[in-house]
Amino acid sequence: MQFQKDIEILAPREKVWKFIWDVDQFISCMPGCKEAKTVEEGKRYTATMVEKVGPFKVEFPTTIEILEKEELTHIKAQASGADNKIGSRMKIELDVSLKGEGDKTTLSFVAGVDILGKLAALGHGIIKRKADQVLDEFTQAVKQRLEGDA
Amino acid sequence: MLRRFRLEEPESVKEASEVLGRFGESAKIYAGGTELLLTMKEGLVHYEHLVNIKKVGLNQIKRDNGVIKIGALCTHHQLESSPELQKSLPAFVQMEHNVANVRVRQAGTIGGNLCFAEPHADPGTLLIALGAKLVAAKGSSQREITAEDFFVDAYETSLEPDELLTDIQVPEANRGVAYLKFGYLERPSVGVAVALGAGDGKQYIGDIKIAVGCAGPAPKRMADAEALLRGKSREEATRNLPKAGEIAGRAAQALSDLHGSQEYKEHIVGVLLKRAFHSALSQC
Repeated sequence: MQFQKDIEILAPREKVWKFIWDVDQFISCMPGCKEAKTVEEGKRYTATMVEKVGPFKVEFPTTIEILEKEELTHIKAQASGADNKIGSRMKIELDVSLKGEGDKTTLSFVAGVDILGKLAALGHGIIKRKADQVLDEFTQAVKQRLEGDA
Repeated sequence: MLRRFRLEEPESVKEASEVLGRFGESAKIYAGGTELLLTMKEGLVHYEHLVNIKKVGLNQIKRDNGVIKIGALCTHHQLESSPELQKSLPAFVQMEHNVANVRVRQAGTIGGNLCFAEPHADPGTLLIALGAKLVAAKGSSQREITAEDFFVDAYETSLEPDELLTDIQVPEANRGVAYLKFGYLERPSVGVAVALGAGDGKQYIGDIKIAVGCAGPAPKRMADAEALLRGKSREEATRNLPKAGEIAGRAAQALSDLHGSQEYKEHIVGVLLKRAFHSALSQC
């Protein structure tokens, strides 16, 4: 599943960049994401993703690895996790890019998400819709947090 | 494989509701089990308590003062073979006859089907078009929920955690009703229901209800598409059908999946709406 989302933020690029690397703040914008920890500053992080569709609940202990980093411009990351209770795995490849000048920044997310295992039985459409909702809530929370602090 | 659970066997609706209230999220109603046990065997969900409600009654079909009351524990087979329903709601009987397969129809209940709210299910769509009300009980109190308000999202209903669906109430009316579905897997890709009355010497479309299911996360009533047809002459309504189909297709919130792409499902909504409209109108 491919996702793309661009958000305009009324904040300078430096502030947005700094916010992304404040792991506690950044992760707290992600619905269902908890227990974020830094394993190796700037390179490796862990968190737990909890999501629910009707009676179906998943909990993915997730490792996030930063694959590429270009100061103030681009981050490429990979997240993967498994829920052994329901026998499902998740893998996300994420490209985050920042553009803009002055007090405006365009933050772009491009994500490739793979869900494997029994959870896939819920159907591609339902899972994609849920992921869309999560990404919408996440980007709105990032925008609000950054603009609210302006 | 099924993990261990405790089987609770209440003997009344009140007792079942109390059991649900006591155990909260660790308990689930067990009726036919055709959806629930599959997901439990797959390990997708687990409940420590299954509340078997087969001893609480709720398996009658009655006519009462212009309303057909269907107990939530009626199996699909009971509904497809009911002479009472065949007389009063033949389109509902036809829909039930085509639910899943004979094994599911023997064990699966109408209440279980509605409460599980699997997006690719038939009954909810037709019940919305029929203007049905669903009766939910909690302790000794009851409330009515319209079928269109019952479905919240995929696998989600407006029932509270300790509420039980007890009855489905369908108003009797002089109307034409059609439910059509299309799919190439066992579950349908799209289902469309139309219920309409013909007014003024049968030359005009009277009240009309349209519902679309399976395409999106939950069945939905299509009020904007209905407005293009309600009160119109047969000819004008027929001319408006393609537009009504387009509007209903978009409003269905169709999702791309193994059952078809969003665009394909939207197109099929229009095709089925046209056929269901003419089928319902021919019965008036």
